[in-house]
Amino acid sequence: MDAVTLTDRYVDAVIRTVPERQRADVAAELRAAIADQLDARIEAGEDAATAEREVLTGLGDPDELAAGYADRPLHLLGPRLYLDWWRLVKLLLWIVVPLAAFGISLGQTLSGAGIGEIIGSAVGGAITAGVHIVFWTTLVFVVIERSGAAAEMPRTTWTPEELPEVRDTGARFSDMLASLIFFVVAAAVLVWDQLVGLVYLQGSWMPFFSPQLWPWWIGALLAVMAVDAALNIVVYLQRRWTMAAAAVNAVLNLLILVPAVWLLSQSMLLNPEFWLTVIPDEGEKVFGILSIITGFGIAGVAIWDAVDAFLKARRSRR
Amino acid sequence: MTEADVRDEGGQIIHLQELRRGTVVLACLRLLVRPGYGYGLLEELQARGFDTDANTLYPLLRRLEKQGHLASEWNTDEARPRKFYRTSDAGLRLAQTLTDDFRAIAEAIDALPGNDRNDSED
Repeated sequence: MDAVTLTDRYVDAVIRTVPERQRADVAAELRAAIADQLDARIEAGEDAATAEREVLTGLGDPDELAAGYADRPLHLLGPRLYLDWWRLVKLLLWIVVPLAAFGISLGQTLSGAGIGEIIGSAVGGAITAGVHIVFWTTLVFVVIERSGAAAEMPRTTWTPEELPEVRDTGARFSDMLASLIFFVVAAAVLVWDQLVGLVYLQGSWMPFFSPQLWPWWIGALLAVMAVDAALNIVVYLQRRWTMAAAAVNAVLNLLILVPAVWLLSQSMLLNPEFWLTVIPDEGEKVFGILSIITGFGIAGVAIWDAVDAFLKARRSRR
Repeated sequence: MTEADVRDEGGQIIHLQELRRGTVVLACLRLLVRPGYGYGLLEELQARGFDTDANTLYPLLRRLEKQGHLASEWNTDEARPRKFYRTSDAGLRLAQTLTDDFRAIAEAIDALPGNDRNDSED
């Protein structure tokens, strides 16, 4: 047999991925096994070429056979580690992706980028962060599984204590009470700020929010907040968030968010005098940066509140 | 029942494969009380009704050897050198345990309701 036969190529393909010290042994055994099977088929009357093809076809994909010899798994991640991997990936995605999108938009806005660029880089950054998280987490788990470290790790046994709590409906009496108290306190602070002033500087009280807002802007804000408080009472009476209530809640959040951001962009929300008094030299610059951070803060809270209500509505539908 | 009888019902084949998976190990351990080599063992398994593929048997023999249930030796007396496997003492103990367990399972299954043959005899 001078020419390279199919059998030679097959044996070579198998031992290529078998650990070095087993190679010669596996190759010799496999050759003998193939030769035995060939002989049996030729004895039964098949011609040599067909018999060889049939035997090798029967043995199947050489990489699969090699994995069997080397005791290697034929999957990326097995059941042993799958749930740990899945929980970690979910947790990391929930934490890192929103933070990345939020941080990138904040940074872009502070550096004076246009709206298109802000959205583009935030979406791009969120996708990049997500891909990195999934890739690196998976890689670490695959390495752990392949290195055999998983077999030495103590098996974490599940206990009933790990059961998740029954999830909050967000429509308990305490939720309603908290939102009413928040409404009363916030209204009092706003009115006090405009009539007397929240900050005491250089011998006099001055308002934190811009005095131009009084009375119509503040009045409108109080009206929206009153409707929001009423909505919380309705939700409590229904004992759950409905999709309709969540939709109203989202509209109310928009009604606060959009004017607030617009006022900020016109330098009409915060009292510029306050900042000029606190930081006389760089006051203007600080005021600009602070306006942007405030805007992002308001947007973050409003969007989260709207999404949270929809999540609670969906949960309580079951 | 042969493989051909159930070929058209894919689900059934999977269940049969799962049921038979462990029995090949037991059969190997008991057959190799007399030393044997890969192809010879494959033939004998098939002749005795254990439907086994070559590409599962060869890695299996190596795994059992690594675990100490089989011992091996190259036989170069004949023209074609072959690796002969023989069940070790540990392998014999494993075979005994597996056999006992298999009998217990077979008895438990016989005692289960829903056995057509027994029902028709009653």
